[in-house]
Amino acid sequence: MSDTTKAIQRFNVAQRIEHLVLIISFTVLALTGLPQKYSLAPISQAIINALGGIDAIRIIHRVAATIFVLEAVYHLVVAGYKVIVLRLQASMVPGIKDGKDAFQWFFYNLGLRKDHPKMPRYNFMEKMEYWAMIWGLVLMGLTGFMLWNPISTARLLPGQFIPAAKAAHGAEAVLAVLAIIIWHFYNVHLKRWNWSMIRGTLSREEMEEEHGEELEQIEQGRLVKAADPETRKKRLMFYAPVAGIFTIVSVFLVYRFVSFEQSSITTLPVEERAQVIVRRTPTPLPTAAPTPTEAPTQAGAQASADTWNGGINKLFGKCAGCHGTSGGLSVKTYADLLAGGTQGMVVVPGDPEKSLLVDVMKGTHPMKFSAAELERVIAWIKAGAPEK
Amino acid sequence: MTHSQRRFLTPPALLVGLAVALALIGLAATRLTGAQAAAPAQDTQPGNEVCLGCHQQPGMTMELESGEQLYVSVDPAQFGKSVHSKAGVACAVCHTDIFGYPHPERTAKNLREYSLLYQNTCKICHEAKYQVDSVHRQAFENGDPNAPICTDCHNPHTQAQVKDEQGNLIPEELGKSPEICAKCHNGIYEEYANTVHGVAAAKGNTDVPVCITCHGLHQIEDPTTAQFRLNSPKLCGECHSNKTIMDKYGLSTDVYNTYVADFHGTTVTLFQKLSPDQETNKAVCYDCHGVHNIRAVDDPQAGLEIKQNMLLACQKCHPDANINFPDSWLSHYTPSPTRYPLVYYVNLFYKFFIPLVLGVMGIFVLSDIYKKVTTRVKRGGKSPAPEQKES
Repeated sequence: MSDTTKAIQRFNVAQRIEHLVLIISFTVLALTGLPQKYSLAPISQAIINALGGIDAIRIIHRVAATIFVLEAVYHLVVAGYKVIVLRLQASMVPGIKDGKDAFQWFFYNLGLRKDHPKMPRYNFMEKMEYWAMIWGLVLMGLTGFMLWNPISTARLLPGQFIPAAKAAHGAEAVLAVLAIIIWHFYNVHLKRWNWSMIRGTLSREEMEEEHGEELEQIEQGRLVKAADPETRKKRLMFYAPVAGIFTIVSVFLVYRFVSFEQSSITTLPVEERAQVIVRRTPTPLPTAAPTPTEAPTQAGAQASADTWNGGINKLFGKCAGCHGTSGGLSVKTYADLLAGGTQGMVVVPGDPEKSLLVDVMKGTHPMKFSAAELERVIAWIKAGAPEK
Repeated sequence: MTHSQRRFLTPPALLVGLAVALALIGLAATRLTGAQAAAPAQDTQPGNEVCLGCHQQPGMTMELESGEQLYVSVDPAQFGKSVHSKAGVACAVCHTDIFGYPHPERTAKNLREYSLLYQNTCKICHEAKYQVDSVHRQAFENGDPNAPICTDCHNPHTQAQVKDEQGNLIPEELGKSPEICAKCHNGIYEEYANTVHGVAAAKGNTDVPVCITCHGLHQIEDPTTAQFRLNSPKLCGECHSNKTIMDKYGLSTDVYNTYVADFHGTTVTLFQKLSPDQETNKAVCYDCHGVHNIRAVDDPQAGLEIKQNMLLACQKCHPDANINFPDSWLSHYTPSPTRYPLVYYVNLFYKFFIPLVLGVMGIFVLSDIYKKVTTRVKRGGKSPAPEQKES
C-alpha cells in the first residue's frame, strides 16, 4: 500500500479549462437567473442591485448562456474527435453495469456488502451528473430560446408555450442548482476534496475507490490505446471538415438564437392619447332672476294699497345693511324712515316727486329696488305712505 | 361725483373701512394656518348683509378692459350653503381691499388677471395647502397664468363642505369632484366618464376611483414621469387587491400578484424598488387596460377578454405579435387544468420531478455519510484521510 498517494493522471489542461468555463458560466447563469425567478426576495434584490439592475442582469444571463452553449459545441467537437478519430472508449455512455454499480455502492454503504464496486473511468455518479447536465442544457436551450424570442415562438406554437417554457426554465434551474449542491458538492468537495479538476490527478487510493475498474486497466495496461498517428491522420481528413462545418453551423445557430427577433419596441408605449388640457365651455352665468321671493306679485301689489307694516318694510330690509347709519339715515323703523337723514326727508308722504328716495333709486345708488319694487314704493308714497 | 356717491363717502363709512383694514392686518400678523381660525372679529367689518345688499342681485356684471364680463353677483342662498358661510367667513375676510362705496378701481384688465388678484387670498386660512408641491403649482411658478389657483377649482362662494367631522371626504362630493377637473381636462374627463369607473362614480359609488384617487388631492404628481409609471401598478393594486371592495363586483384580487409574477410586472416592480427613476417600456396596468378609458374586460369594444382586443394591446409594444401571442400572457389567471393546462402540467411535473431527483441523490449521499461515520467509529475516531496515513 505504499503507493496509495501515487498521483494518477485524470484530466488534461484543456479539460480542466473547459470545466472552469463551465463553472463560471453555470454560476453566472444561476446567480443571474434565480434572482429573476425569485425577484421579490430581499437577497435577489441585493444581487440584482449589485449586478447593475434587472436589465443588466438579463444581459449578463444571456451572455453566460451563450458561453455555455458555445462550450457545449466545443465539447461535442472534442468528444467527436476522441470517439471518431482516436477511437477511444465512449466512457460517458451509461450501461447496465452503472445501474449495478449504483445498487452495489448503496448496499456497500449500508454495510450489506463487503466491497464497493469497481467502477469505470466515469462512474454512475459522474454519468448521472453528466447526463443531467446534457438534459438541462437541451431543455434550458429550448425554453431559453422561447423566452428570448417569444414572438417567433408564438408563430409556430400556441402562446401558452411561452409561460410553460418560463415555468420549465425556472424549475429546471432550481433542480440543477440543488443537484449541484447536493450531488456534486458532496461527492467531490465534502466527502473528500477531489483535486482532479485542479491538479489533474487523483491519488491511487481515490482511484481505487471510485474508478477501480479503470485503475486495473491502467495498471494492467489494458486501457484502450489511441489510434496510431497514421490512422489518426486518415480519420482526421474526414473528421476535420465535418467538425468544421458542425462548428460553423452551430456558431451560426447560436448567433441566430441571440439575434432572432426584435421582440418589442424600444420606445415608451403610447400612454394617453387624449389631449391633456381641453377647457370646458363655461356654464353661462345666471341672468337676473325674477323678483325676490318676499315681494308680492305685481298683480297682488296693485290689488290693494300697501302699508309699511303690510310689506313695504320688507322691501327696505336690504337697505338696512347700510342705512342703519349711512347718510344719517336709518330705514329700520317707519319713524326712522320718515325722520330722514343728513339731507333731510327721504319720503314725503303723498308726493313721490319730492321724495329723495325715488330720486336716488332712479340715479346711481349702488343698490336698487327692482322696477316692480320701486313702482310699489311709489304707489305707497302716493297713497300717503301709510304705516298700517 | 353724483349725488348718491357723495352720500356714501361719509366719515362713518371711512371709519368702518379703516377698522376692517386694521382688523385684517392683525389677522394676518397672527399667521393663522388652520381653517378654523377663520372667524375674525365680525363687528369691525362690514357684515355680509352689507355686501349682499347689493351683490345678491342676480346678473350683476362689470365690464373689464378686455371686454369680458366680470360676474359680481353672489346668490345668498348658495353662499349660505357653502362651507365658508357655515364657518362664518365674512366677505371682507377675503375681499380685503373692497370696503366702502364706491369700491376702489379694479386694476385687472381681464378675467384671468382678476382671478389672479386673489391667488394668495386663501393663505389667510389655508396656508398649509400652499406648501404642497403639485404640477399645478409648478406650472404656476413657471409663469403659466392659466395654471389653476385655488379659486379655479374651489369657487369660494359656493364651495361645499367636502369632509365630514372625521375628516373623511363626503362621498357625494367625491362623486362630483371629476367635474371640477373637467373644467380644464375635459378631453380626459369625457374619456373617463364612459368607463367602468366613471359611470359608477357619477352614480355616487365610492368604491371606484375618481381623478383625485389616483392623481392626488392638491399634491398632484406629474403623471408623465418614470416614477409615476413605475408606481402605477401599486396604485391600481391598492383597490384591486382589496377583497372587501372586489368581492362586491366578483372581481379577482390576484390581478396585482399575477402581474408582479410575470415578466412585465417583475421588471416594473424591481425598477420601482431599486431604481425608481428608471424609464421602462415594460407594460404597466394602463398600457393594456387604458389610461383613462378603462373598460370592463368584457366590454365588447375594448374588453381585454376578447382576444382581438388583447392582441391590439400586445401590439402596442410587440408590433410583430400574431394571434397566438396574447396567450403567452396568463391574463392574471393562475394556471389550472382548464386554463393554461400546459403551464399547469409543467409546474405539476416539476413538483414531483424535483423532489424525486433530489430525493434519490439525497438517499445516496446519506448512505455515503452513514458509511463514512460508521467506518470512522470503527477506526476509533481516527481520520481516514489518506494524506495523514502517509507515514
